[in-house]
Amino acid sequence: MLTSLYVEGDTFLHRQRPGAKLALILVLGLALYLTERMAVQAVAMAITGAIYFSLPMTFREALYRLKPVLFTIAVLGLINIWLLSPQEAAVSTLRLLAVVFLAAAVTATTRIADFMETITWALQPAERLGIVRAADVSLALGLVLRFLPDIFAHYEGLKQAHAARGIAFRPVRAIGPLIILALKDADAIADAIDARGIRGR
Amino acid sequence: MTTKDIVLVALFAAIIVALGFLPPITLAFIPVPITAQSMGVMLAGCVLGAKRGAAAALLLLVLVAIGLPVLSGGRGGLNVFTGPTGGYAVGFVFAAYVTGLLAERMVREGQPEVRQFAGFFLAAIVGGIFVDYAFGIAWLCFSTGMPLAKALYLNLTFVPGDLIKAGIATLAARAVLAGYPMLPSRA
Repeated sequence: MLTSLYVEGDTFLHRQRPGAKLALILVLGLALYLTERMAVQAVAMAITGAIYFSLPMTFREALYRLKPVLFTIAVLGLINIWLLSPQEAAVSTLRLLAVVFLAAAVTATTRIADFMETITWALQPAERLGIVRAADVSLALGLVLRFLPDIFAHYEGLKQAHAARGIAFRPVRAIGPLIILALKDADAIADAIDARGIRGR
Repeated sequence: MTTKDIVLVALFAAIIVALGFLPPITLAFIPVPITAQSMGVMLAGCVLGAKRGAAAALLLLVLVAIGLPVLSGGRGGLNVFTGPTGGYAVGFVFAAYVTGLLAERMVREGQPEVRQFAGFFLAAIVGGIFVDYAFGIAWLCFSTGMPLAKALYLNLTFVPGDLIKAGIATLAARAVLAGYPMLPSRA
C-alpha cells in the first residue's frame, strides 16, 4: 500500500549524495526566485523536466506521480493570466515547474535509507543540545509504518461492529472510537519497546 | 519525550496518514472535495496537545520528504514542498501546535460539555484553519506571484469544508477526552 517513490536505477542523480541533491534544489530554487527573466525559467524548466522524464520509469508513471501538483500549477497559472499578465503568469508557472521537476527527480533517485542518514546527520547539533535523538526519529518513522495496517484493521473492525448491530456505518462517526482504539495500544507498545531496551539508556 | 510519547506521536502520524485514504467527501454547496487529512492535524493538537501534536505533524512531513506517498491522493515526495500549495503542508506543524496550545488552555476534564466542545472548536479553527492558511497563502502568493487579496479570496472556497472538519474534529476530540483522555498528560 505504501511504496516508496524511489525508482531503482543508476543515473547520474542516483549516484549523488542526498545532501548534495537537497542543496541543489535549494540553490536552483533561490536562483530562479531571484530572477523574473522568462528565458532563464524556460531553460531551467526544460533541463529539470528532461532530467525528471528521463529517469528509468515510464512516461505515464512519471506524469501520474505529478498529476495533482501539475493540475494545481496549471489552474493557478490560468488564474494568474487573468489576474496579472500572461508574461508574469508564464514566468511563475515555468519556475514552479522547474523546481517541482527537480524535487520529484531527487525524490525518485534517493532511497529512504539515504534520506534517513542525511536526517541523522542534520540532527547532530540538536542531538548534542539534547533536544531530539536521531534514533528516536528513526524509531518513530518505523512505528508509523508498523501502525498503519493496525489502524486500517481497527477501522474494518468498527465497520463490522456496526454491521453486526444493524447500524448504518458513517466513517465520520468512527473517528473518535478509532482514535481511542489506537491510543489504547500505545501503553503496551511503549512497554514492549522499553522491555527490549531499544532506546538504550 | 518518553517512549510512550514517541509511540503516541507515531500513532497519530499514522492516523493522519490513514485519514488521507478516506474517500474525499463532495458536498453540493462547496466547489472543492473535502479530504480528511487536515482534520487529522486538528485532531493531533486536540488529542495530544501542542508539543506531541506538532511532533506528529512534523513526522508526517518527514514521511513525505523521504518519498512516501502519504498525503491524500497519494501525494508525496519533495515536490510537495516546492509546489504552490507546499505552505499548507508546512503549516500543518504550526497548526497542530497552536491547536494543541489552545486546547490545553481551554479544555479541562470535568468542565461542562458545552465548554469542552466550544474550546476544541475554537482551537481547531484558530490552529487548523487560520494558522495553516497563513502559511499556505504566504507561500502561494510568493511562489505564484498572486496578489494577497486574490489568494485570500480563492482560499475562501475552502472555508466551509474546513469548518465542517473542525466540527467533526471537535466531536471526535471530545469523545476521546471522555473515553481515553490524553490531553492532560501533555509532554
